[in-house]
Amino acid sequence: MISVAEILEETKGKDGRRILKVDKDNFLQLMEELKEQGFDHLSLITAVDWRDRIELVYHLHNMENDNYVVVKSDTLNNVFPSVVHLWTSADWEEREQWDMMGVWFDGHANLRRLFLPESWTGHPLRKNYDLSKVQYINMDDEGNDYATFDPGDGW
Amino acid sequence: MTEAEERQKWVDLNMGPQHPSTHGVLRLKVKLDGEIVKELEPVIGYLHRNAEKICELDYYCDSIIYFDRMDYVAAMNMEVGYLEAAEKLLGIPPPERVQWIRVIMAELSRVASHLVWTGAFGLDLGMLTPFFYAFIEREKILKIFTEVSGSRQEVNYMSIGGVYQDFNEKIVQEINEFCDQFPKKLEDMYDLFTKNDIFISRNKGIGVLPKEVALDYAVTGPMLRASGVPYDVRKAEPYLVYDKVNFDIPVSQKGDNLARFLVRFEEMRQSIKIVKQAISKLPEGPFFNPKAKKSLMIRLRGEGDVYARTESSKGELGVYIVGDGSVKPYRLRVRSPTLRNLSVLRYLAKDQMIADVVAISGTIDLVFGEVDR
Repeated sequence: MISVAEILEETKGKDGRRILKVDKDNFLQLMEELKEQGFDHLSLITAVDWRDRIELVYHLHNMENDNYVVVKSDTLNNVFPSVVHLWTSADWEEREQWDMMGVWFDGHANLRRLFLPESWTGHPLRKNYDLSKVQYINMDDEGNDYATFDPGDGW
Repeated sequence: MTEAEERQKWVDLNMGPQHPSTHGVLRLKVKLDGEIVKELEPVIGYLHRNAEKICELDYYCDSIIYFDRMDYVAAMNMEVGYLEAAEKLLGIPPPERVQWIRVIMAELSRVASHLVWTGAFGLDLGMLTPFFYAFIEREKILKIFTEVSGSRQEVNYMSIGGVYQDFNEKIVQEINEFCDQFPKKLEDMYDLFTKNDIFISRNKGIGVLPKEVALDYAVTGPMLRASGVPYDVRKAEPYLVYDKVNFDIPVSQKGDNLARFLVRFEEMRQSIKIVKQAISKLPEGPFFNPKAKKSLMIRLRGEGDVYARTESSKGELGVYIVGDGSVKPYRLRVRSPTLRNLSVLRYLAKDQMIADVVAISGTIDLVFGEVDR
């Protein structure tokens, strides 16, 4: 069991859910323990861009007794440990967060973009993403999509 | 033969993105050994509009129309999901009459969504007749929606703390009429499917999803209930007034295509039961919260973070909003149920016949507005 001191803060959210704040180094250990406690359902992974850091929010759910827990942790260098080996649903969740927010999940075997083409520049949900630069999508001879800044090349 | 040599024999096949039976712009990369699917990889994102970013750029009250366009066949359910989160964050609870109205609308929308699925699933399996039966009934629900909101599909009916327009006598009467005649039509449709030998043999025992795998892939909704987990957010964490109505959660232990079909049909019966109760219990009162009058709407500020989950027609819809005290959400995240349900397709389709992939993906009830957002 992870010692209480290693959980930085335990609070109750506005919606009444239990929130555990944990350091990045202790994160994986906490997740393993929560999985053993019966949290069999990884509901949602959210990355929040606070400009100086990226906050990762994990919503875990225990189907048996309908227990909910929210785990929050921070990363300063956009790298975070992956939890695919604990919950398969983390596969697409992490791919989506990599696509949209640019958080690299260490230990994910197949971390590609989920929605956007692989050659897309930037991660759209970042606060410093420039919305005025339009990117166009076209298809190469292999049938794969690629992104380009050249409007003549796009659809 | 070694595995590498085995793989040499496999044929690559591309399905979609315009394949008529993928319910939208889904592309499947399939590796085939003869007619048996060995590997399958869905390629998604063709309908991606980044609704999360758009919602970040708009006022809290503006985001509702983007939620309509996510799951466009069950728009009312999506609005309920967003408003559950937004109202908690902004501290504007809806009056009681509004809560009952929302329950009625969400359940009618669930029936409408399941009817689209019924028709489209029939088409997947080469049955044209049920499609017409289903869409005639669906059109009656859309007529009720038009009556209250002025729009058929993307209704934009609900707003923060209230609804756009109160129910009048005529609408109540129309909903009552619909509820009276619909169960008979539903049983007709049910017979069309279940008395068809081809339908049964193409679905029984096909695409079996065990309970553990369903939980591992975070599958929710009718798909999870068909795999033997009696989990429904309406019962587990009642929102609106679902704790004041009486209904059952249909569960099947089989986990195959047929089980998912039966669960969805039973859900439609239960939804009608809820609508009938809600209409009879509908209290008098205001239809919006005076704190959220039109002129005040864009000045609403939210701080902190809220996660609200609701049961949409496809599964558990979660909305997570982070507010920084300004008039716009700082971060908005949608847990779309179909994205998680779709991710299990690569498991379900493995070692199945290629023709069954169409049937299996049909039972997932895909709506691409929601998968790609």
